[in-house]
Order: sequence, then C-alpha cells, then structure tokens
Amino acid sequence: MTLSQDVKDTIQELIKAKKNLRIYPENNPVYARTINNIYSRMTTILDSSGSLSLKIKQHDIFLEGEAVYHSDEKEENLALFFFKDGIRELTFKRGLPKNEMEDFLRILSVDFEREVLDDDIVTLMWEKDFQFIHYIVDDSILLEDETYEERAVEKAKKASNNNEGILNAYEDAFGLEKESVLNVVPITDEDLGTIILEIENDPPDKSITMIHLLFEMLSYAEGMGEYKELTGFISSTLEFAINLGNLEAAVYTLKKIEHSAAEDIYGKDADVCLKELKNFINSAKFVKLLGEILDEGVEFNEELLHEFASLLDKRAIPSFIHILGELRNAPARKAIIIILSELGKKDIPSIAKGLHDRRWYVVRNIICILRQIGDTSAVEYLSRAVRHPDRRVKKEAIRTLGVMGTGSVLPVLKDCLSDTDELVRLAAVRAIGLIGTPVSKKIILDRITDKSFRDKNYNEKKEFYEVLAKWKDSDVISLLIRSLKRKTLFKRAKNTEIRAAAAHGLGIIGTEESLDILMKLRNSKNKLLRENIQTAIKRITDEKKRS
Amino acid sequence: MKKREVDLRTAGKNIINQLGVVLRTGHLHDIDNVAVIDAIVKFLNLLTPLTEAEGSLRIDIIGEFFYINDSRVRYPLEYMLNFDYLLREFQKRELGTVIFESQLRIDDLKAFLKVFINATYSSTPYEAMETSLESIQNIRIDKLKKIKEDGDIDQRRIVKKTYFNAVSFTEGVMNKLKAGEKVNMKVAKRVVESMVDLILSEEQLLIGMTAIKDYDEYTYHHSVNVSVLSIAIGQKIGLSRKALTELGLVALFHDIGKMEIPKEILNKPTAFTEEEWRVIKRHPYWGARTILKLKGIDRTSIRSAVVAFEHHLNYDYSGYPKVRYPIRLDFYSRVLTIADQYDAMTSSRVYARVPLAPDRALSIMMERAGTQLDPILSKFFVNMVGVYPVGSLVLLDTREMGLVYECNPLFADRPRVMIIVDSAGKKTAGFITDLTEKDPAGEYLKSIVKTLDPNKYRINLAEYLL
Repeated sequence: MTLSQDVKDTIQELIKAKKNLRIYPENNPVYARTINNIYSRMTTILDSSGSLSLKIKQHDIFLEGEAVYHSDEKEENLALFFFKDGIRELTFKRGLPKNEMEDFLRILSVDFEREVLDDDIVTLMWEKDFQFIHYIVDDSILLEDETYEERAVEKAKKASNNNEGILNAYEDAFGLEKESVLNVVPITDEDLGTIILEIENDPPDKSITMIHLLFEMLSYAEGMGEYKELTGFISSTLEFAINLGNLEAAVYTLKKIEHSAAEDIYGKDADVCLKELKNFINSAKFVKLLGEILDEGVEFNEELLHEFASLLDKRAIPSFIHILGELRNAPARKAIIIILSELGKKDIPSIAKGLHDRRWYVVRNIICILRQIGDTSAVEYLSRAVRHPDRRVKKEAIRTLGVMGTGSVLPVLKDCLSDTDELVRLAAVRAIGLIGTPVSKKIILDRITDKSFRDKNYNEKKEFYEVLAKWKDSDVISLLIRSLKRKTLFKRAKNTEIRAAAAHGLGIIGTEESLDILMKLRNSKNKLLRENIQTAIKRITDEKKRS
Repeated sequence: MKKREVDLRTAGKNIINQLGVVLRTGHLHDIDNVAVIDAIVKFLNLLTPLTEAEGSLRIDIIGEFFYINDSRVRYPLEYMLNFDYLLREFQKRELGTVIFESQLRIDDLKAFLKVFINATYSSTPYEAMETSLESIQNIRIDKLKKIKEDGDIDQRRIVKKTYFNAVSFTEGVMNKLKAGEKVNMKVAKRVVESMVDLILSEEQLLIGMTAIKDYDEYTYHHSVNVSVLSIAIGQKIGLSRKALTELGLVALFHDIGKMEIPKEILNKPTAFTEEEWRVIKRHPYWGARTILKLKGIDRTSIRSAVVAFEHHLNYDYSGYPKVRYPIRLDFYSRVLTIADQYDAMTSSRVYARVPLAPDRALSIMMERAGTQLDPILSKFFVNMVGVYPVGSLVLLDTREMGLVYECNPLFADRPRVMIIVDSAGKKTAGFITDLTEKDPAGEYLKSIVKTLDPNKYRINLAEYLL
C-alpha cells in the first residue's frame, strides 16, 4: 500500500466519520469505533512519514502534488468544506493525541448549514489550539478593502516630519527640568490573587447584568418605540437566560417591574411596556420554555421557585397546569408543583380547574397542590374529586380531605367507606380518623359494631381499630377490651381477626388497665392474636419505661 | 516518542510551577529545612522522567513566556502566582536559560538554590551565578536574551496587515450598520483571533501600531486600538485565548453607538455646547441598543452591549451615563475603560486637538487608579506599556534623542528606542538601540534622562513606526 493510497482511504474514512459523528451520540459504540478507526489510520501514516501535509483547493485535496481527493459537489465536498473558510493547508504531526483527533473530527461533523453559529471552521480549530494539527489560512477572505492599508499609511505619512520641529525638540530638551519618572508599582502576589479570583468568579452568563442595565436604559429611552424595544430586549434576554437554566433572571426582572411600578420611575409609557413584559413572563410561551428546561434536567432550589411563583400572576396558573401533564421527569413535575403551590394561594378556583383535567396524574398532582396550599375553600372541590374514576386520584382526594377537611366533609368520607375498592375504604377510614371529631368517632364505632364488620378482611379491621385508638377515652377502651375478650362459636377465624385488631388498638392506646387482660391472653394458640397481643404488651411496657 | 511529546506539554506547567515553589520556599527557609527538601524532591520527581527521555531539560524565558525544550509552556491561571514570581526572579538575575542534565541530584538543586538566592546581593547577579555554578556539573545557565533581534521585517509586515485589516473591517461594520445590512460575526471573530495570535507572539509590535495617531478615521482606529490594548491587558492577567477573543470582540464594538451622533457634532472643531455634550454622552446607550439589534441575544452580544453601555461609567461611577442603581462594573468594562482612556488621551480627536504624550497620559491614569480606574488592572496596564510607552519622545544620557519603539516587558524603564537625532544634534534615519545593553563592567550603555511631548513638536510617529 502506498502512502497516497493510505491517505485516499483515510480521507474517505474522514467523510464517513463526518456523517457518523453527526448521527451517533458520544456514548454510542459506532461513535467510539469511528474515532478509533480514523485515529489508528492516522497514527499509522504519521508513524511512517512523520507528518502529513495536505494542500486544499476548492475541489481537490493534494498530497505532495498528487490529488488524493476530488469532488465537484457543492454539498458534502470535503475540500470545499475547508476551502470556503480559507483553509489552504492542513498538517498532521507525529505524536497526534487521540483527544486532539477527536476534537478535530467533531469540528468536521458540525453542520454549518443547519446550526446557527458565530464560528467557522477556522475559529473552532483556533479555539482548540491544536498542537499536532496545523493549518494555513488565507485571510484575504476577511479583507473588506484590500487597499485600505496602503491608503491609510500614505495618509498618515503625508504629514511628514518637519526637521525644524524635531530639532527644536532636541534643543529644548536640554533646557527642560528633569521630570520625576513614573514609578511602576510592581504587581504583588495579592494583586495576582485578586485578579485570579475575579476571573474565576466572573460568571459566563451576564443576563442579570444585562437586564439591570436595560432597566437603567429605560431612563434614557425617548418615546414608546424605544420603551418597546428595550422591554423586548429584556424579554429576549430572559428567554436566553432561561435556556441557560437561569431562573434568577426572571425573579430579578419581576422584582424590578414591581419596584418600577411602586416608585413610578419611568413614567406611563414605560409602565405600559413593563406590563407587557410581565405578561410575557406569565405567558404560556415562557412557562413552556421553563418546562422544557426543567425536563432537560435543570434543577432550581425550592426557595427560588417559591420566590418566582410569589411574583407571578394567577393568570399563569392554567399554563403551569398544562405543562404539569406534559413533563416527562419527576423532578421537573416537582418544581411545577412547588410553583403552583405558591401561585395557587392567589386563586384556588383556578387551581381547582385542574381537577377536571383528563389525565389522572395531573388531577392527583392538583390535589397534592391543594393539600400543600391548605386553603379550606378547596374542600368543596376535593369533595367532588373523591368520585373520580381513578383509584389513585380517589385515594389522594380522600387523604387530602382528611388532612384539610372539617366535619362538613364527613358525609362524603362516610360514603367512601362503602366503596368497592378496599384501598379507597382504607384511605377513607384514615381520613375520618384525621378529622377526629366526635362525629368521626361515631362513624367508626358504628361501622365496627355493625354486623357486616366481621366479614371485612383483617387489614381493614385493623385499620378501623387503629383509627379508633386515637380516641383514648374509656368507652373506646372498654369496647376494645370487649372485642378482645369476645369469643364466638361461629366464624371463629373472623372473630379472632377482630380480637387481634382490638389488641393492636389497645397497644396504641397503651393504658395499664388493658395490660392485665393482654397478659392473660399473651399465650393464645392463634398466631395472629398472639403476635398482636405480644406487640401490644411490648408497646405498653416500653412506653411505661420511657415515662 | 508520541507519549513523550504529549507528556512534555502537560508536565511543563507543573515543572515551572514546582520550580517556583522551590525558589519561594528557599527564600523563606534554610536550605536544609524539610519544606525546602520536600519541594526539591517533588521538583526532581517531575523532572526526572523528562530528563531521562530527553537527555536534558532546558527552561528558557523568551519575552514573558517560559519554554521547555523549545515548547512554549501555557500560562495556567491556577499557577499564575508561581509563574509570575519565577519570571520576576529570573529577570532580577538576568537569567534567561537553565539547563538540567539527566544526572541531576538533590545536592545539585540545593547548590543551585543557594547560588540563586545569593545572586540578589550582587550588582552583577547573572555573572555571580555563572561563576558559582561552574563547579556544578548538572546545571547550566545562560543569560537573558533580547526579545528579538533587529530587522524582523516579516513579522512587522504581518502585524501591520493584521492591524489594518481590523481597522478596515471596523469601518466596514459601521458602514454596513448605517446601511441596515447584516454584520458577519464569523469574520469579526477571525479578525480578532488574528490580533490575539499576534498579542501572544508579537505583543510589542502590535501595541506599537496603536501608538500611531496620525490617521484620518479616528473612530475606527480607536476601536481597534482599544481592542488591541484590551487583549494585551487580558493576556497579562492570564485570560484564555477564547476569553481574549471575546474581550477583543467586545472592545471592537464598544464605540458603535457613535454612529448615531450627528456628523456635525462629531466633527465639530470647537468646544461642544452643553446640549452637544448631552448628545455625545448618549452614545453608550445607543451602542448597547445597536449591538442588541445587530444579532439578537446571545452570550457575545450581551457582553458587548454591557461593555458598550458601561465603558464611560468609570470604576467609581463618576462617568456617564448616570445610573440610578449602580452595580459592580463588568470585568471586561473595567479592562476596556483603561484601554479606552489611554488611547483617547493620546489621540488627537476633533474636539480635543492636542493629545497627551504617552508618559503624561500614563501619569494621569495612575492618579485615577482607584477612582475612575480599577486600581489593580491599572497596575497591570502600566507594567505592560512600561514607564515610557511606545511613541514617547526621549532624551538619552548620550545626548541622543529618540522615540520609544518597543517596550521591554522585563525592564519597564529600559525600552528599545529609535534614535532620530544623534549626539551631535543631527537628524538620523532612525536606528534602533536597546537600553538593556551593558558595557563589560556591567553598566548600562544608554539611559533615558528626560521625556518630551512629541505632539508639541508635531513629530509624526507614522514616519518612523510604520
């Protein structure tokens, strides 16, 4: 194989690599294979020849005068790809490290037609500062005016020196007082340290500074047109900032808008534009942007999200509810829930509209939000949500009613005790217990004393007794003791479950009067009953020791 | 072979840094102190693989940069303190090269350290070191070289071409904007990149180009001059190449708002009225707006707009436009303000016909350090342009008169001077003399005794420097 053939093959591989690196992500094996293949070919060539210099023409690439590549195409023409930006020669040197080769290939794979870039190939290569890939560039493509230098120099030299002036200066020089020389203060380590810190702490994202200055610029604006333009710049800067994951910029802007309105800084025309700016931040477009960035994995701290939400208008609520159903990842949804929990305080009915969303998970999130807000006016909406067809929504609504509700929701919860789904019933028992009014107690007692109670499965029985144990009064204790002692001839297994659940309840209440009876029964032959009794005894005695 | 080349590049900065640590520690403690020995051992550990592979390791200072076996060592920000320290200590001793052989031992380095420290007490430090090191086999030294030999015509041509390209591009940008056309940012970047390259290799030549003030189009040249000077400051403080490009680009567009100033005001030969000043002072506002309109919002346009708005605000906010709620000036704005003020003060503008002599402008700027100008960045600037900036008219103790042609970054008060009047008082064609030259007794051959204002005598720098 001759060198020129090797180079021809390698160039063909470069063209393939150009496509592969566009298509496959870094973690794809094809990507790695492509890099390794080119690198291996290139190092083989460089090891044998020391370096590889390629001359670039519009349609050809030459190696020592021989064409090793030719294409008349406009698209996908490797020679033209380099040539159009002024590269006229490319040299690869022995010792080329793999990472440098990879960087080079990545530049090669940039789709300059599609990607909006301020950089061309030369800039991208220049920024990489390659040590083993050198290139010669024809900078004449940069020339605005080829004759500029000549004309400028000629004009500058026109005012030629007059001998007289120079000699006068010379003559005067001896008569002049000797001036004190400027003292060059040496740069200290402290100076260097300060500068290093400055550079390290200089944030790459200057959005907030820009927004701050754009507000300052409003003071200099003349007329509606300029106000609109400046607030438009603020909007665009905000979009840019959000894309970088900078939510502080939005918070900063909203605060500035509030402050400007309160202090009446810029006058009526500017206020109109600032209102529009505020509308933009509350708009579906902006919310969608925020959602997209959240879904990409950007995270904001909770405090910032609360602050942001507190500055928003209630009209942003529907947009946030909408994206709540669109987001794919959980942390993103969590962030929106935090925002809506804050924002919803301003308008419960708007949040509650989310309960009608066709997506069950959105409804469930809305219920969570209403619970976090904790406004009792939401109870009315939540009472309807318990009739949602999806069990998960029902459970969340029941739980929330338990946390937030008052006695007024008990009829709704009582109905839920008859639901066909056991998990829903369990949630309802707990919720009733959470409300904790005498009526709640009565509902629980009525159910426990009802004949049908015996037929419920053990978990449900246990839940009822556990909830009942909240009320540590004597009638509850005596009911539990009675239940524990009760023996039956029929359905003994079901009765034993009641006894076990009652023992569990007594353990929760933890009174000494129940300890005697528990001790007597602690060796019961029935495993379920025995375990519950022993657990209850341990609980009571441990509690005793602690107190 | 391949591995070694890569290693040399990555290990270079660690070696230079560690040598800095050795010398610093040696200055603080006795040579047999455990901290000194530790530092030496670390240095030796870094050095040995390379001296074994290469046979020897050579450290050179060329200009302001370290080279290891002819490869320039990057100036990493995290090592900047030690790099700078080492550079200063080498300069003090006129030490330009140290060669470590592969047989290097701890005792050699201890002896070198001792000699290095003691050399500061000698009036001829390099010679003192050279004599003391004769008995050490594994370390050799060489004297600090002049930055460049005379007659580097090609480089000067490239520098001129790059400079005028940038000016021509700037003019093109302004014209395009006036015509409502789009500006090609790719080209703008390329223009600045070539300036960055030259600042990194031919800093003094490019800075020299900014000293010539006899051009017609002040605004365009001023924009490029500010860009060059900003990049040079940026390079001094250790900004990356990418950051230097960004800074240069931002600087290039800083005065774009001047396009909005009516020509009759801009070219008015007499003093401005209050109303005219009000218009002039709006250019930072116009500049920021123009930039944001130019290409929409992205990282570069934001930074450019921020700097365009802030470049006359001053470090202490005493400038314009007045703002309601001051926040700390952007770092680039603080760099650029220095470059902008210096170039403006030393230029002949329509409304300020008499420019200041470079050294006078520098004195004024030093007075402003801490008020109008960032104090630390001002220090960097003065250290960069030297006591006698390019274009200063100076009288030497040899009764010769000349123009400062190039500063010497290592000796701020000893630039290279183009002699324009000889000791007999006759005008000469202009030859270059280096004020760091010494006679065999170690005395400087020539020194500056006085400075004059070249503007007062209408001396055309273009005649000499272009």
